[in-house]
Amino acid sequence: MVEDIRPLAAVLVSAVAIALIVASHRRPNLREGWSVVAALAKFGIVASMLPAVMGGDVFKWSLKESTGIQFLPGIDFALRADPLGIFFALLASFLWIFTSFYATGYMRGLDEHSQTRFFASFAASLSAAVGIAFAANLVTIFVFYELLSLVTYPLVAHNEDNEARIAGRKYLTYTFFGGGVFLLAGTVMVYWLTNQVGTPTTAFEAGGMEALATAAQAEPVYAQAAFFLLIAGFGVKAALMPLHSWLADAMVAPTPVSGLLHAVAVVKSGAFGIARVILEVHGPGLIHDLPLDVPGIGEVGLNIPVAVVAAFTLTAASIIAMRKDHLKRRLAYSTTAQLSYIVLGLSMLHPAAMAGALFHIPAHAFAKLTLFFCAGAIHVETHTDYISEMAGIGKRMPLTMTAFTVGAAGMAGLPPIAGFVSKFYMLIGAGVVGGSYWLFAAALLLSAVLNIGYLWPVVYTAFFESEDRHDAKPVLEFPRGGLFRSYGGDEDPVAADGGEPTDRTDAADASDSEPAAEEEFEYAVDQNPSDHTVPDADADADVDTDADTDSEDHISSVDHHGDHDDHLTGGPPAAGWQRRSPFAESTWLMLAPIAVIATGAIVLGIGPDYAVFLELAFRIVEDVFGMPFEDLIDTPLEEALTGVND
Amino acid sequence: MSSVDLIIPLLIVAPILAATLPIALGLRFERTGWPVAGLTTLGLFGAAGYLASVVYTGGEENHTLGGYPPRYGIELVADEFSMLIVLLITAVATGVLAFTRRGGPRGNTFYTAYLLLVGGLLGISLTGDVFNLFVFLEITSIATYALVASGDGPEAAVASLKYLILGTVAASMYLIGVAFVFMATGTLNMVELATAIPAPETNPTLIRAGFAFITVGFAVKVAQWPLHTWQPSAYQQAPDGVTPLIAALVSTASAYAFGRLIVTVFEVDYLAATPNAAAIVLTIGCVSVLAGTVLAVIQTEVKRMLAYSSVSQFGLVIAAYGVVIAGSSETALIGAAIHLVGHGLLKAGLFLGVALVAASYGARTVDEYAGLAKERPFVAGSMAVLLFSLVGVPPGVGFVGKWYIALGAVESQLWPVAAVIFLSTMLTLAYAARLLEKMYFTPPAVVESPHATGAVATDGGDADDEESGDTDPTDDIGTTVPVTGTDTRTVSVGMVAIVVVAALGSIALGFAGGTFADLLEPFLTEVFN
Repeated sequence: MVEDIRPLAAVLVSAVAIALIVASHRRPNLREGWSVVAALAKFGIVASMLPAVMGGDVFKWSLKESTGIQFLPGIDFALRADPLGIFFALLASFLWIFTSFYATGYMRGLDEHSQTRFFASFAASLSAAVGIAFAANLVTIFVFYELLSLVTYPLVAHNEDNEARIAGRKYLTYTFFGGGVFLLAGTVMVYWLTNQVGTPTTAFEAGGMEALATAAQAEPVYAQAAFFLLIAGFGVKAALMPLHSWLADAMVAPTPVSGLLHAVAVVKSGAFGIARVILEVHGPGLIHDLPLDVPGIGEVGLNIPVAVVAAFTLTAASIIAMRKDHLKRRLAYSTTAQLSYIVLGLSMLHPAAMAGALFHIPAHAFAKLTLFFCAGAIHVETHTDYISEMAGIGKRMPLTMTAFTVGAAGMAGLPPIAGFVSKFYMLIGAGVVGGSYWLFAAALLLSAVLNIGYLWPVVYTAFFESEDRHDAKPVLEFPRGGLFRSYGGDEDPVAADGGEPTDRTDAADASDSEPAAEEEFEYAVDQNPSDHTVPDADADADVDTDADTDSEDHISSVDHHGDHDDHLTGGPPAAGWQRRSPFAESTWLMLAPIAVIATGAIVLGIGPDYAVFLELAFRIVEDVFGMPFEDLIDTPLEEALTGVND
Repeated sequence: MSSVDLIIPLLIVAPILAATLPIALGLRFERTGWPVAGLTTLGLFGAAGYLASVVYTGGEENHTLGGYPPRYGIELVADEFSMLIVLLITAVATGVLAFTRRGGPRGNTFYTAYLLLVGGLLGISLTGDVFNLFVFLEITSIATYALVASGDGPEAAVASLKYLILGTVAASMYLIGVAFVFMATGTLNMVELATAIPAPETNPTLIRAGFAFITVGFAVKVAQWPLHTWQPSAYQQAPDGVTPLIAALVSTASAYAFGRLIVTVFEVDYLAATPNAAAIVLTIGCVSVLAGTVLAVIQTEVKRMLAYSSVSQFGLVIAAYGVVIAGSSETALIGAAIHLVGHGLLKAGLFLGVALVAASYGARTVDEYAGLAKERPFVAGSMAVLLFSLVGVPPGVGFVGKWYIALGAVESQLWPVAAVIFLSTMLTLAYAARLLEKMYFTPPAVVESPHATGAVATDGGDADDEESGDTDPTDDIGTTVPVTGTDTRTVSVGMVAIVVVAALGSIALGFAGGTFADLLEPFLTEVFN
């Protein structure tokens, strides 16, 4: 433990930025400049601690020791930069740098209102997220967890329309139920249990809190209750089913929010909290040894219910994602599924699975951020939100859709993208334990297939179809269970069905999605050609931008925020997508971050040993189990777990 | 020493005597009320601060009025618990008085009632005699009736009458309870009662009857469901500058007095052995938490909503007393004390904010608060902070109180109570978020115009689109509600500053959880042996 102000500085640097952002609200360039400066400073502070932390140091700042103020009796308001904290803080602050550029491009591209509030809340969210990363005990993490719910609320309700307000309400309800009710209750339980065997504490300890383990011998039921309360509390933000539905609704927020916060910082703070609970509050040993009597099955470890919920979530969410036509919503369900990978890996308790789960935090972050950035870029450039309107969009946005492909492969866990590495370790973990854990392995593999099932169609329709020649989308458009008819879309369905009177009745009987399929070629934009008045494909860049800004004004006055009105503005223009070069498809403010993050996902996948995250993940697991990672792989799980508490 | 213990009676006597000055001098001079009230309040604030520093460093201070022995005379006690309330009373009174300088009400009669109220409240906090407590309860109530009745229109008179009837019944209940206890023990001094009540020769039936009457009396005074009915209309109809004072202090002082009787007079061990005492107090508290919130959520007037919120927040305090009785929990008592102070500060700030908004825009309903954040960012921001503090978001003061109360309930293994306390976060959020959403995420509504039907026709009946007409004010011909283009001269920077200070104070106190416990420590060891 080294006393150091840097953990606090890392938290506060973006809090200071809030004041500067608000103060410079009249000068947008300066305002966005503060975001970038704060992001760089935050990353710099976190990175400056990295070498020492890798060397085994832990930096600590405590309110009591620096000011003498006791937050609550027996509880210090303390920040601690340990490997796990650095792991999350490094990820969030690194990605914020690029997101702040991207957000600038996005918000200006759409000419959004209340940008000052947006950037201020964004900076506050990062403060809270890093606070969660560095929190040294359950109360401190609770404080930041609640603050994070609070400061992301303005971002979710940003649009100030009915849909956004409802999403905001739902968001507050879910997150405060998780934080203010479950997490607080669990924290109070832990405090009370440890108070019974000595001085009360809620401070994290690698491998689990010893006082809690002692108390759990006397009060096993309450220790279990505390565990499940804490998991439920963090599980809300980690979007574990059945607490997940806020996430899809929160997609009404501007895309940078969906990207950095609702795919990385906020949701992963939930997954990160679960990691803290499993690794450093109860500890793998206690979780495994506290028997939970399940009727009909017998006694199982506390981890099994969590793993079952996670396995269910990742399968179910993947299936739901397949039927979402709105791209951001599809990505949201994908996030729900991918977060459950992390929870599943952690709750399998095997060192390899844990390392894989931890590595999945950055792996998923890079890939999913790429996907969201792409979705946002498409939205800004073409106002297209629905996958069914994206046929042939690869011509218009080649670089974006290439990056999207990389991200999609990462989701599915295909090498050489980062998602492969994490999934590989999780599968090793499941396989080494064997037995019923094969079910979890099967869920992971099945989910990989489903991932391809919901993301590949996007890539396919973008690159291999064109606006006037594309297939029907059977999963989306047909009633559940499918239809007896050709899925080929190139023949005119009416002509093909021509003389068959029976087919007519079929069509009439078919579900309400059927007419939508027939209207496929009648784009709403055709009725509003003023949206896309670009005269010629070879028009020079100036004309292009002018035309774009014109259409911008018109469209932004309609609506472009994810309710069904988007069908009015999305889709290809009357003349089909323009063919653009990868460098002219959008502003560099958005393209550069997309390219960098997608590259990051590949780098993490090709050389995980050289990118710091995998090493940190190993280090965290080694700290928990108290032996080198190479030995851990070979040690049977039971034996490894007994070593935890030594 | 003597100079210190003289402060205690002066804290009570000075405002009550000063209360006569505005009216008496007002016969000759027009504007005497303000300097008298201002000087007295400042003096009280300073004296309370000095006394607090003495008490928290040197321990309890007593003053025996007139030198009569406690058995017959009246004893005034300033200990760690009562000083918390005294500090709250003087601080809030100072803040509210400063606010009314510009925001109103003004006038000599107001200053008289104000000083009388402050004197009564300080009396409740400092007295060590159960009958004397009744006297101060009545002084407080009478001043409050007068202040409520000074609101505009006949509704204020009705509200005041309602309060008068219920308040008098409550005070009588308390007096009957005191009479029973006096019958059984022959003394009215709190410390002597504490030794006399558990004595074997005391008739337990009389004591129980006494406690039952006292509980019902305080349930009315503290506005616990279903005896709360006086409170929302009193808060709503009182002049805007008065509501913060009443809401923050009157019920708080009564709740403090109830807690004082539980821990000092009847004592926790005795009540724990009394059948059903804990269960009844717990039930009153928990039911009020739930009922108060439900009622708050369905209100349209902001003041009424906050009034019902007080019902539920005091429910938490009463539930904490129940935990103190049931589990001999020191933690829950700390929680109750902190929540009394915290809630007082929060409600004072919130009602001051409400008064400010009403003064500048005439907005009183939740709907009329739409778009406030753009018009008055500092007031809206402060109210947001105060509301979230009330919800229990850390590091606000509301969280600290809730933490201790919840911890006490868990330590005593009262799981249903713990569940209610944890859930109260969500329940409070339900009405807090409603107001926040209006202030920040709802553009100012437009007045219904006859042309509004046009928007509906173009939208083709899609339910989602109903709002789009509202969100785009340029389309509409209707004029905006009072939120824009109104007279802002009535609001001074100082008034805004007071609300901001309240918000900042609520955050600062949020870090004082450990400090509160340290301050109360000597009192707790004395009460819980």
